[in-house]
Amino acid sequence: MSKLSSSLGFVVPAISTCKFLAYLTGIPDILIHDQQLISPLTSYFRLQEGLYLFQNGIDPYDGGSFHHSPLLLALFDTMIPTSRLVAYALWCLCDAFAALALVKIWRSRQRVAQSSRDALIASAYLLNPYLLLPSLALSTSTVDNALTLLSLSYACQGNASASLLLLALLVHMSPSSILILAPIILLLLSDPLSHLASPKLFPTGLDRAVPLLFTFIIYMGVLTVASCIAAGNLLWISRSWGSNLMLPDLTPNPGMWWYFFTEMFDHFRPFFLMVFSVHLLIYIAPICIKFQYDPLYAGFLLLGVLGTFKAYPTLADPGLFLSMIALFPEVYPYFRHPIVTALLHIHSALLLPLFNRLWLTQGTGNANFFYASTLVFACSNGAALIDCIWAGLRIAVGEAKEGDHVVQE
Amino acid sequence: MERLLRRFRRGGGDPNATRIRRRQTLVRHLSNRISLINLALFVAAYVWMLVIPFPNLGRFTYIDENALQPGQVTAYFDWGNVHTADLYLADLESLRDLNSTSAERASYITTQFKRLGILAASQAYEFDASVGSLKGVNAYAAFPSPRSPGTEAIVISASWLSRSGNDTLNLRGIATILALADFLKKYSFWAKDLVFVVGDGYLDGMQAWLNAYHSTPQSNLRAEELTLTSGVIWTALHIDYPGHSFSHLGIFHEGVNGRLSNQDLVNSFERIARSSGVPTVLYDHIDWRDNAASRAELEIIPLWVPSFLRDNHDVQTYAFQAKNVLRHVGYQARGKPSGVHGLFHQFRIDSFTIFAVPATGPHGFHAIGRIVESTLRTANNLLERLHASFFFYILTGPYRFLKIGLFLPSAILISVAVMFSGLKIWTDAGWVPDDSPTDSKTNSPQEQWTTRKRPVLSVLRVMVLTHIIGALVFWLITRSVVINSQLLLALIFLGVSTLPIVFVTLFPSPSAAVPTSSVLKAFSLCLASTVISTTAVLNFSLAALLAILLGVPMTSARRIDSVPIKVAVSLVYTSLAFGWLIWPQGELRSAIWNWDILGVWTAPFISIVYAPLMLQSSIVCLS
Repeated sequence: MSKLSSSLGFVVPAISTCKFLAYLTGIPDILIHDQQLISPLTSYFRLQEGLYLFQNGIDPYDGGSFHHSPLLLALFDTMIPTSRLVAYALWCLCDAFAALALVKIWRSRQRVAQSSRDALIASAYLLNPYLLLPSLALSTSTVDNALTLLSLSYACQGNASASLLLLALLVHMSPSSILILAPIILLLLSDPLSHLASPKLFPTGLDRAVPLLFTFIIYMGVLTVASCIAAGNLLWISRSWGSNLMLPDLTPNPGMWWYFFTEMFDHFRPFFLMVFSVHLLIYIAPICIKFQYDPLYAGFLLLGVLGTFKAYPTLADPGLFLSMIALFPEVYPYFRHPIVTALLHIHSALLLPLFNRLWLTQGTGNANFFYASTLVFACSNGAALIDCIWAGLRIAVGEAKEGDHVVQE
Repeated sequence: MERLLRRFRRGGGDPNATRIRRRQTLVRHLSNRISLINLALFVAAYVWMLVIPFPNLGRFTYIDENALQPGQVTAYFDWGNVHTADLYLADLESLRDLNSTSAERASYITTQFKRLGILAASQAYEFDASVGSLKGVNAYAAFPSPRSPGTEAIVISASWLSRSGNDTLNLRGIATILALADFLKKYSFWAKDLVFVVGDGYLDGMQAWLNAYHSTPQSNLRAEELTLTSGVIWTALHIDYPGHSFSHLGIFHEGVNGRLSNQDLVNSFERIARSSGVPTVLYDHIDWRDNAASRAELEIIPLWVPSFLRDNHDVQTYAFQAKNVLRHVGYQARGKPSGVHGLFHQFRIDSFTIFAVPATGPHGFHAIGRIVESTLRTANNLLERLHASFFFYILTGPYRFLKIGLFLPSAILISVAVMFSGLKIWTDAGWVPDDSPTDSKTNSPQEQWTTRKRPVLSVLRVMVLTHIIGALVFWLITRSVVINSQLLLALIFLGVSTLPIVFVTLFPSPSAAVPTSSVLKAFSLCLASTVISTTAVLNFSLAALLAILLGVPMTSARRIDSVPIKVAVSLVYTSLAFGWLIWPQGELRSAIWNWDILGVWTAPFISIVYAPLMLQSSIVCLS
């Protein structure tokens, strides 16, 4: 890391140290099974279980419980010891790197070496409860988020190779993140500066995207081969990538998918799985076309889509989107109903654990209670997303004169 | 059709312009009348709360789960078993007269169980709480089910002390348990293990036993591990029989943290008792119309009520049901269990207390034995846990209740009103009348308004700080030095009373133009509304209480100019926030005891959520 402003140099280590101390108080043991903080795909507990099976010569993908990428398996098997302390340090580091990457993105967007807002942006990431709690629960979504932000930050600096490699890693671990491939390529072809207020056509021809796409495909291919070697067979493809599409594990999570598919008749299942998966993809083109002048903003919006609609979300996914709002202060005056969105989020943040508890601990509620709270959560994420889309478009119209109104046709 | 549409889009041409105009008109109408709407919401909510005990609201109870089949069996408990109970009672009375220790009592009870051929053991425990320490010895026995592998169990329990207070002993309750153990083991139809527990003390013994049974460590509890265990406990009946005989059987159903037992279980018991010829009541509230001796109960209707109303049947029913509802709210809002059964609720076990209301007659061991036997056989019928959403209700009488939809909206309406006022203040804070001279061209008859910045971060900082102070106060009052000293509590109260002034001097408004106080009020109103509406599902009584305490006071807090008045008003708010530190004394002690021993979160909730919200109102007045 280059020169850090003094307050940033204080904030990140201080918060990370506090977090490491929090790990030592035994909080992870309380949170590690919380359904809002970890999903079957991001559970540290399941990762350890898979690792144990792997080290004892049993194929972890043979059962139905392990959905992590073979890369993680190989990493923890060879390089990183599996002690809890190491994991705590690793997760703290991931969050610190992610926060620094966020600051880097901010700096390159503003084209400054450092700014007074740096520490604020880092704390917006490190202290966001939606990110802090999954990280304390050792959810691997923390790693995913760090990869996302690092990839975006390299893309902002124009480092195509590093950015695409990190993206390939990310897609390997969480395939639905393929959504941000398009904005990252656009970002590499243009610049991260804010053009929201002055829309223009995309500066260069798209033919330059082809080599970037090829680079990405080659990285993906290499990682896939590496995964096959690590796992020893091809079963991991259906168990790890496939679970994002086939939804084999219906453990409740704060997302929208699980309840639908617990209620669904089996013969409709493939159709609706297809609908739900394709639904994620249909946002790419419209958002990238509309925001072609500011691909970073497009990527940010797609992360919001992902946080709301992906198959196995944890609180960390919408949390990433919410923390990234800190990067775009220019749109704040144009938010339509920020307080309503904030209140919706407070409501859902209280209702999610409450209804989860009513259903599973206290036994006075049932699955519908928790599902209702996930719907409120989806509404609040949707409200935040719509607010950001509106503000991002509205800024281009400029300051309204007295008595003027902007409408959408 | 076309004409109609055109009329609808009055103003002609551009549909967008029409839409904007229409929306503006709507918003203007609504925001001009927002205080009226709020008033209407408040009035509706308070009236609704008053209407809850209304005789014609709600419905008769019914059995939802068909498997229960209450009262469909022949009870076999007979006079021979009553004699056994009498013999046990004589032994227990001599133990009482000898001033025997906990260990002696427990060893007597385990010996009796063992003589019946049932495996029995005892468990010593000691609580180390900030209010004082407690110790005792529990006795328990497990009778394995003859018909199943023992994966599920039913608990029949009694505690040494009765719930009626004054150190009344529950000797007849324990004698009933022993006689039942002797009787129930002779039958082969039990599909669930029967676990008999005699807890020492009142709540403490059962808490220690349940914690050990479920292996949930509690930091201030030292208890022996249980040597006998059984399966998952589905149901628990707690028997409390303090008097010589009883006239009615009372039902106590509120658990820790306001959880209620499944209504089906309570209803089944009520059916069984009534069909066995024993009248049931809620708590120990005997309806004076059933019983001439309890005419004194009529006292709940104030004397100034004219006699034609006092003698009116519906008014009397209303008063009686209001008494029941108030008792329920008293338990639920405090999160306090209404009896030993309430501890089972922490572990997802449906349970209630059968309270034999002391009287000179006519019922005794025979009636309670048969009714408990029949209730156990009903619980034994269950193939799956009682589920359905039969956990949200208010019993207005032993066989009348309100469903959630009939009482929940009352608290929610207040929360909506509070939210509306918060949002209105937030919007208003963003605008300021424009004083600058307007040029003649745009000189319209309307007032000119300009936007201004609202200080969000500094207000959030104040709010977070008040909640941290609430947490600090909570930490302080859970220290045993503090809770046992009136003086220190008074000092803490004095300390927090100066807080609003400290806040106002530490974080002054940068200038009069910055609406800090309005924004603080808006945010704390929004937070209060959120807290009320989310609590409503968990614990309606607490939400209703919060709605009453926070609703009108917080919405009417405003910035006052006169210094003496604003100091006085802010002191009133501070006393509303932290007054419980000094008055009533017993309430705080019992809340802390409940938190220490039973994990009731009312005390932390009040000090970390409620009190800081009031403190924020106090700051609003002062700034």
